[in-house]
Amino acid sequence: MDFATLGGNLFGTIPFGDIVLYLTPFNLFLFAILLVFTIIIAISNTETQVEATFGSLKNTNVTVGKKEFKQRRILSIICGIASAGAMITGDLFNFTLFMALVGILNIGIVSSVKQVSVLDSAFNYGLIAMMCSLPLFGGAAIILAATGTLSLSILSSMPASPMVIFGAVLILLGVLGESGVAPFFASKAEMFRTAGSPFLVIIHLSSLFIIIRAVEILLLVLL
Amino acid sequence: MAEILIDVIVAFLGGSLLLGLHRKIMARVQRRPGPPIIQNLLHSLKFFFKETAFPKTASMPFYVGIIFILAVVWIIGVIAGPVTENSLLILFGVYAVYKIVEHNAGSSSGSPYGKMSCVRAVLSAATELPLFAAIVLVYAKTGTMNIAQIISYQGVHGPLVASVPLAALMFFVLILAKSPYSPFAITKGKDLVTGYETEHFGVLRGFLMFSESVAWFVLCWLFLTVFFGPISVLWLVVGLIVIAVITGFINATTPMLSPNHSVMTLITICCICFVGTILMIII
Repeated sequence: MDFATLGGNLFGTIPFGDIVLYLTPFNLFLFAILLVFTIIIAISNTETQVEATFGSLKNTNVTVGKKEFKQRRILSIICGIASAGAMITGDLFNFTLFMALVGILNIGIVSSVKQVSVLDSAFNYGLIAMMCSLPLFGGAAIILAATGTLSLSILSSMPASPMVIFGAVLILLGVLGESGVAPFFASKAEMFRTAGSPFLVIIHLSSLFIIIRAVEILLLVLL
Repeated sequence: MAEILIDVIVAFLGGSLLLGLHRKIMARVQRRPGPPIIQNLLHSLKFFFKETAFPKTASMPFYVGIIFILAVVWIIGVIAGPVTENSLLILFGVYAVYKIVEHNAGSSSGSPYGKMSCVRAVLSAATELPLFAAIVLVYAKTGTMNIAQIISYQGVHGPLVASVPLAALMFFVLILAKSPYSPFAITKGKDLVTGYETEHFGVLRGFLMFSESVAWFVLCWLFLTVFFGPISVLWLVVGLIVIAVITGFINATTPMLSPNHSVMTLITICCICFVGTILMIII
């Protein structure tokens, strides 16, 4: 399957040896949105989360401390850049690397929060992400062994052998677990209960966009 | 450029009127007079002239920026959809950003209602499964993601709703999930006031309502175009009205599901329809 059929008219390519970055409206849209969000995250303050206090009529204000703010902001910016890289890369191994990096950063963004339920959720998500890194990289390795290349432009022009299909299924499983989307989202939802909206957005955004990109990559490789 | 501007205005006006019709139908089913059909449009315009207030607890400039991103993204949706008839994947991306805004418009204000809506938005990401599955099935049937080519395919082979009806059903479930007062609209449950919109006033609310109107028009247009093939403007209008009537009737007679039930129902429908469609394509 060619890029233009999936992502719209091809604007151009940027070759790096056999790895070719291809620029379609679809890839550029995802890339641009992620960069815009990353810039907004870099310049935004965090909100003060107002919560009801049990047993009284008072409210509790939950804020993000300065040290925690700095840690979470830098991790969020790196996560945004890594996700943007995953949107535009033309190499299957680079995509899996970006995916693994995003999974680690997602945990890192909430790891400095001092709420037990949030840390529990991050721990559970971390376990799933760690387990799913095996099929993620294993799938890419199987495709490399079966075809001799990880370049998406070359893979898109090759017929899919049974081993390539097996590798693609493993990558899908790995991406689902690493990004923590359905059916693994239950482990991740509690992570969003803490304050720090600009940092939480990148956790959700990176997961969704990487899933969309994974769909494009799998269709390129399989069809 | 003029075509883009005209299409955005048509999408806004059309979407507003359709949402107004949807609300009117819900009211009539419930034996209430209901507001005039034009009320949603008047509300949207009214907010642009209201005073804009910002909560002291809000995350600035994120709180403001995310609303404008939503409006820009749905304008891109109009360009990728009705104007250029480009890739379905771009519209999938547009819809994903819509989910992000649902998620973070709520949490950025600091309001507990917005925060609950935000957490539910994470759960309601399950609504993307029907969209994703429907797009993949359309691709499996037609061999293309390009909307213009899908229309051409249907011109030769007949409407896709006849050959992959379960995929069409899945897409319709997504539209139902995004309709106001839907049984799946857990992010805007009445227990959350207006969910992620609770703390957005004035111009910001105006842009939110503008985006929702455009989103409704684009989603319905996409459904009719992808599954009913090349249709004239008259049939498009008829189709849009029929969708508003059906979703209005369902929403008026169905209670809102709890978050867990909503997610499980969507995933179950998605799985059944996906497997069913695959079997139909193979057989």
